[in-house]
Amino acid sequence: MSFTRLWQVFAEYHDVLLSGIRVTVVLSVLAMLLAIVVGLLACLGTLARSRLIRAPAVFYVEFCRNTPILVQLVWVHYAWPEIIGYKFDAFTSSLIALALQSSGYLAEEYRAGIESIDKGQIEAAQSLGMTYPRLMRRIVIPQALIRMLPGILNQYVICFKSTSIVSIIAVPDLMYQAGLIVSATFLPMPVYTAVALTYFVLVFIVSASVRYLSRRLPMGGYFQTQQHAAA
Amino acid sequence: MQQPDPVIRLDKVHKRFGPLEVLRGVDLVVPGSSTVAIIGPSGSGKSTLVRCINYLERIQGGTISVGPVTISAQGLEKSGRKLSGRDIARYRTGIGMVSQSFNLFPHLTVMGNIIEAPTGVLGWSRTDAVEKASALLRQVNLADKADAYPATLSGGQQQRVAIVRSLIMDPKIMLFDEPTSALDPELTGEVLRVIRDLAIGGRTAIIVTHELRFAREVSSHVVFMEGGGIVEEGPPEQVLGDPRETRTRAFIAGIFN
Repeated sequence: MSFTRLWQVFAEYHDVLLSGIRVTVVLSVLAMLLAIVVGLLACLGTLARSRLIRAPAVFYVEFCRNTPILVQLVWVHYAWPEIIGYKFDAFTSSLIALALQSSGYLAEEYRAGIESIDKGQIEAAQSLGMTYPRLMRRIVIPQALIRMLPGILNQYVICFKSTSIVSIIAVPDLMYQAGLIVSATFLPMPVYTAVALTYFVLVFIVSASVRYLSRRLPMGGYFQTQQHAAA
Repeated sequence: MQQPDPVIRLDKVHKRFGPLEVLRGVDLVVPGSSTVAIIGPSGSGKSTLVRCINYLERIQGGTISVGPVTISAQGLEKSGRKLSGRDIARYRTGIGMVSQSFNLFPHLTVMGNIIEAPTGVLGWSRTDAVEKASALLRQVNLADKADAYPATLSGGQQQRVAIVRSLIMDPKIMLFDEPTSALDPELTGEVLRVIRDLAIGGRTAIIVTHELRFAREVSSHVVFMEGGGIVEEGPPEQVLGDPRETRTRAFIAGIFN
């Protein structure tokens, strides 16, 4: 009986659910793209020699990592207007909050990736006359990015799941649409079960691809062989 | 031996890693176009000495002059002017370095490894760089490996690529830091041949090595180091054939037994 009701929810409300999925996907992808860029800048900041650059960068990263996403969301949406004198719409606030959170974690991910690059690579580049910015751009970051790919994608999975919280400021994501359907139908069990299953399928597809990709990292084998040969 | 102007001169060079004194006031003169071989037990400071010359390591005392550039504890200077990071990078383009761990860039092909610095640092056109690189690859018998990634090559092939990567910059000075130590014995021959025939070729060269026979063959001057200082130096026949110091004798006897 409950399964028929579950199926009815999908059949009857698939338009609404689909529009919710669209918002969830767009929001998570945009937030992640923003976080990839901001996270890289923050990471380079934490690696800077000048304390004037390093200290604020470290604070930024630690702040992003050590505050809950719900708090960040509410803070951006309701506190920023008074701080910066401009009120973002709910979607933009959500985008900023999600990007904040992810950029902090990504900065750490980048740092670990950059520090994992063998010192000999940097010395070889220096010996060839490359300046620090050039050797970072051409030698270190490309290698680090390949190693960080699984970490970045894992962060995307976390970001995707975190989007469900933006419904509290009325962004019409999947979770928000579910709430609307429940208030119209008074059927919390089948509706929320349908939503849980939808999230599960979407996230599972992403995380399964991450696992697949991690195993067949484009340069994975090369790195191992390289280190083996050097040992 | 005729005495052209010294290209590299070390004067009372001190280097410390924390409390550990790795170089204890080393004096050394390397005349232009000569090849100096440095031998000695591991931990004697010979690799560190070479790395100080292209400023991969800082020194805490004394001076190293390389042509018009002087390195001291304060950094690098040239005609009274302190060199910036960019100037130091330019200084290094004149000094080729081949280390024991090859350090090819694993995300680039053999060709990509070789042309990265000429195009990016020296501003050559890609066509010129590829042409010169191909010629050099032919000389080290690796013409067919231009599109291969480093990980697919043997150690000996990787080291030959690393040598080509340095040579394309046409450095006046070549530094070799145990270039064959990481190689299987049967692969050292081809690498040593490339070093002798192609890489040294009239340049000023310093080679840190355990290959005493090779040192004798290519060098005009052999330095034996131990405990952060030079114990004995002189022509190869003397230092390797009839060493004056007992410590040198013991080291050479140890290698041949």
